[in-house]
Amino acid sequence: MNADTNAPCILLAEDEMLVAMMLEDRLIASGYRVVKASRLAKCMELAESAPLDLAILDINLAGEVSFPAAEALRRRGIPFVFSSGYDDNILPEAWRNEKILQKPYDTRQLTAALTALRAN
Amino acid sequence: MPSQTKPASAPAASQRGKRVNPRKAPPQDTLIVGIGASAGGLEAFKEFFTLMPADSTLAFVLVQHLAPDHQSLLAELIGRTTTMPVVEATHGTRVEPRHVYVIPPNATLTIAGGVLQVCKPAPPREHRLPINTFFTSLAADQGDRAVCVVLAGSGSDGTKGVGAIKDHGGLALAQSGSDHEAMTGMPANAVATGLVDAVLPVADMPARLLAYQKQMHAAHRQKGSDGVRGDVAEHLNTICELLHAEVGHHFGQYKEKTLMRRVQRRMLVVQAETVTDYIDYLRQHPNENELLFREFLIGVTEFFRDPAAFEVLRTIAIPALVADKTSDDVLRVWVPGCATGEEAYSIAILLREAMGSQRGLKVKIFATDIDDKAIDAARAGRYRPPLIGISPERLQRWFSKDRDGYCVSKQIREMCIFSTHSVIKDPPFSRMDLVSCRNLLIYLNNDLQERLVQSFHYALRPGGFLLLGTSERLAKNARLFTELDKKQRLYVCREDAHTHPRDFPNVQHRPDPSAGHARHDSTRQIDDGIDQQVRQVLEPWSPAYVVIDASHDVLRFGGDTGRYLSPSAGAASLNLFQLLDKPLRAGVRAAVLQAFASGQQVIREGLTILLHGHERPLRLIVEPLAQDDDKAGMCVVAFDELEPAPHTAEPATGGKRGSHLARIQALEDELRRTRAQLHTAVDLHETASEELKSANEEYQSVNEELQSANEELETSTEEMQSINEELQTVNAELKNKNEALNRVNSDIRNLLDSTHIATLFLDRDLHIRSYTPAMTGLFHLRDGDKGRPITEISPRINYPELQSDVAHVLHHLTVTERLLRGSGEAPTFLLRMRPYLTIANVVDGVVLTFVDITESQRLNSAHAQMAAIVNSSRDAIFGFSLDERISSWNASAERIFGLVAGDVVGQPLSLLLPLDAPAGAKVFFASHDRPQRLAEFEMTWVRPDGASVPLAMSYSPVRSPDGTLIAGKLIARDITERLRAAQRMELMLAELNHRVKNTLATVQAIAHQTLTSAADLPGFQESFLARLLALSQTHNLLAREAWEGAPLADIINNELAPYRHDGNARASDARVQLHGDELNLHPKHALALSMALHELATNAGKYGSLSVPAGQVTVTWATRTICERPWLHLQWSETGGPTVEPPTRRGFGSRLIGEGVPYELDGKVTLEFPRDGVICTIDVPLDENASR
Repeated sequence: MNADTNAPCILLAEDEMLVAMMLEDRLIASGYRVVKASRLAKCMELAESAPLDLAILDINLAGEVSFPAAEALRRRGIPFVFSSGYDDNILPEAWRNEKILQKPYDTRQLTAALTALRAN
Repeated sequence: MPSQTKPASAPAASQRGKRVNPRKAPPQDTLIVGIGASAGGLEAFKEFFTLMPADSTLAFVLVQHLAPDHQSLLAELIGRTTTMPVVEATHGTRVEPRHVYVIPPNATLTIAGGVLQVCKPAPPREHRLPINTFFTSLAADQGDRAVCVVLAGSGSDGTKGVGAIKDHGGLALAQSGSDHEAMTGMPANAVATGLVDAVLPVADMPARLLAYQKQMHAAHRQKGSDGVRGDVAEHLNTICELLHAEVGHHFGQYKEKTLMRRVQRRMLVVQAETVTDYIDYLRQHPNENELLFREFLIGVTEFFRDPAAFEVLRTIAIPALVADKTSDDVLRVWVPGCATGEEAYSIAILLREAMGSQRGLKVKIFATDIDDKAIDAARAGRYRPPLIGISPERLQRWFSKDRDGYCVSKQIREMCIFSTHSVIKDPPFSRMDLVSCRNLLIYLNNDLQERLVQSFHYALRPGGFLLLGTSERLAKNARLFTELDKKQRLYVCREDAHTHPRDFPNVQHRPDPSAGHARHDSTRQIDDGIDQQVRQVLEPWSPAYVVIDASHDVLRFGGDTGRYLSPSAGAASLNLFQLLDKPLRAGVRAAVLQAFASGQQVIREGLTILLHGHERPLRLIVEPLAQDDDKAGMCVVAFDELEPAPHTAEPATGGKRGSHLARIQALEDELRRTRAQLHTAVDLHETASEELKSANEEYQSVNEELQSANEELETSTEEMQSINEELQTVNAELKNKNEALNRVNSDIRNLLDSTHIATLFLDRDLHIRSYTPAMTGLFHLRDGDKGRPITEISPRINYPELQSDVAHVLHHLTVTERLLRGSGEAPTFLLRMRPYLTIANVVDGVVLTFVDITESQRLNSAHAQMAAIVNSSRDAIFGFSLDERISSWNASAERIFGLVAGDVVGQPLSLLLPLDAPAGAKVFFASHDRPQRLAEFEMTWVRPDGASVPLAMSYSPVRSPDGTLIAGKLIARDITERLRAAQRMELMLAELNHRVKNTLATVQAIAHQTLTSAADLPGFQESFLARLLALSQTHNLLAREAWEGAPLADIINNELAPYRHDGNARASDARVQLHGDELNLHPKHALALSMALHELATNAGKYGSLSVPAGQVTVTWATRTICERPWLHLQWSETGGPTVEPPTRRGFGSRLIGEGVPYELDGKVTLEFPRDGVICTIDVPLDENASR
């Protein structure tokens, strides 16, 4: 499934296994290479060093917030989008301008968000 | 005529002699003016010197009260107002005219020989009277050339100095205010002595001084070497006669020089150039007579003057006098020349102190003086402080404070009788026990002195005491008295020496007793008539005799002594040896000396006396008269004339001649008889005359006494009249007071009747004194019960402690209160019992008041309930008055605001407005015009301890029943909890939203995955619904535990229950075996594991061991610690099912188990497919945070 090494690599930080599995399937189906992280530690490791093109960050990773990873991504210039079951207004001031995908979202919303990221 | 007002002190008298010496310095024509002022007298000084010309012959010495540590600028300041040199006085400076000398600070300034004496430091403040000190030394040094001026100042410094100046004939001025009255303080005190010559404004003083200076110079030119003007002496008699005519006192026997000096003084005062001018002035101004009279009488007197003399009086004379007297006797004292009474009162005090308990003894002190003004002052007995000589103890005991002075106490005053009386002009008093006449004789000439001493002797009873001034002596009259204390001049009257007052000069009152009368020996002896006759009969037959004293002075003559006497020529003398016939002298002298020496009778025979040419034998008998001390003080010298040898020269011869002779003989006999009779008659007449004379004298004395008593009585009558008037006033006042009392009484009765407070007055024995009508409700009282003991009256109330309460109140004098609760419907009373105090604050019973407090009790309890409700409220409730001050503060207010009631009640309401209060609160606090209805607002209060508390405030007005706003009330509710709940609610809503969205996302994922792996729609439907159901059931479990977690066993059972044989979800059965401890899983673990177990169970039910009846599933789990983390180890194993074929394709289930669970729970999962059954092993850490 991840055979195509030329495909763009996307970081999927999501602690819900079912949601992660579904998104992984969809992203692969959309032609992405997917690396997953259900915990912040793993997510940070990937965000800092993995060859990434894009990232989807669930704000809450098993009780921890993913903002450190977002910072790492921002440093590296890798576009990302937050996803959360919370409302937009829970974002701290520093991240107010970032896009957020409201759970649950469908393929179209996902594609639109990714397209927008890649366009930047 | 002498003044009896004692002038000047003894030292002053000695100074007088000194004054006669011509002074060397300053020059004769310089007058030294001492000016005294208190601190602050600078203005007066300046005014004085501005007007004082610099060309006078006056020298000025300024004495001011200066602070000792203060550098005085006085000299400099005064120097600006005059051209005269103004210098600070230094020791040894000779006073020069036209110079001004200023006292230096902290120094005593005196003058001696015209040279200033400065002594440093000044004495302590309480003894510092620099003006007195200087004036006194100035007077002593300069005499009549001294002038003193007393300027404004407080206190009495200068007053004594003025006395000294006047005593030496100087001039004294005092400052007056604009009203021409002496200024209060020093000038007024100086004027009060009556010695100040003129009271003037400062501006008039220089002119007065210049006039005085001119007078002095004029007078001086006419003065003799003794400082007395010759022309005065010439006219002194004229002046004395004028005075005698006007005032009635003749001063002819006063010491001339004293009088002349005093006339000169008056001349200076009235500014008369010559004596004749003055006499004219005296004639034209009747008032001047009086002033001159007073000038002659100038006296200085004080209490206990010469304390040593009084000490002698106290220790020697008074004890003897008091001891002599029985209680009924009268102790009589005469104080001639008493002036303003100080000496008389001093003696009265001494006597009163000595008498002590001897109350019955009456004391009469006759205090006399010719100065009626002085006597008036003495009668008043009022003295201005300071009372010199009176110790504080005596002042406290014998004087009472009276306005601005001291009044002699009544018992001392009553001992003294004051009257005007001239000791010289008027007959003396008699039968005195003590005569105190001090410092009067020194002003009289010798003759008068001698006469006065005799007067005193007459006045004294034998053994009575005479006290004279220290510089006075008895002189020629020494024989009349025995000296007791030489220094203090205390004498005792000798019994044997007799005088009677010579020549009372008041000839108008009685004829001059004939001078030729021999001193009578027994004037005051009251003889029995028979004795007298016998003596008369025997007298011709008894020998002639004389009685002499130890100094050989004749005291008595008896019989016909004439024939033995032949007085020597020269000065008259009573000495026997000067009187005796010369031939007798030698023999008598020898006998007398022997008799005095031996104390024995001496008889000398064989003396002869030549009489009418015949020598007659004489027997001399000298008989000493024994006195008390057995020492012969007197002798009788009797001349016993013996019959001469019988006459032979009388022969009776012849007839006619014989008859003639017989006739002659008969006639001679008759003549002799007649002569004898005549002699007897003459003697009788003489005796009677003597008696009458002595009676007359006696009566005169008594008369004087009576006059004194009369005067005293008149004074008393006047006093009585004024007392009567006072009493009338008092009476009128009392009447008014009585009316007022009646009114108050009726007011009180009405008050008691109208209050309906039951009041009962009891005396100390519990007898009813009075009660109010309301009392009948408490006791069965009737009208006649007053005076009965309350214990006999049956009470309507239950009060058995009445007696003990009364006893307690009377003993402790405290107020006792007691609550008397009525049983059932009966009213409750508050009993207050207090001591009954009379107006004089004497406890005389008790007062009981019974107040019906039933209603008040009820209200009190209602109020207490309300208060308890308010106080127990969880909300702060507090009120405030209309003036925005907090009036009440309940317990919760203390807790919520963190302020105790004591700190808040009474404070302004704005105290409670927080600094950063919201607008609503500010508006509420700022506007005092509060809304009519309830107003609410919120604010945050910061307690003193820093904690802040959100408050919901609600205000409501408090109104009286008629709707008037009377106060405000605020309730503050602590809304911390409410705000926290609201926050939590908000949080939970967000959480719920999040959970729902996450769950929907999960459902979406399940749907998506199920759809991907489903073979057909029915298959999708079955799997999808089953999965949703599993999810739902786990949600149920979690919801049951409020999403805190879910038991693992229940999760497993939820999935395996459909395959069980029985319904018991917990126990193991034939198909399902569960082994493990109770374990609660976090929601995240619960959801993830439940999904995995669902897939395992579904698979087992479809294809595995649960698909056949014999198949079994065993689930075992345990927790263990790996690397300090708790781990769950769970194994799912199937047995007894169909043979297992490993799956060819990885479905959603195995992906979820093998990939999803480790992914989500960060653990490890192995899924094996042995032939006899699937085995799934799950290892996950349990300390992961719960999913949100």
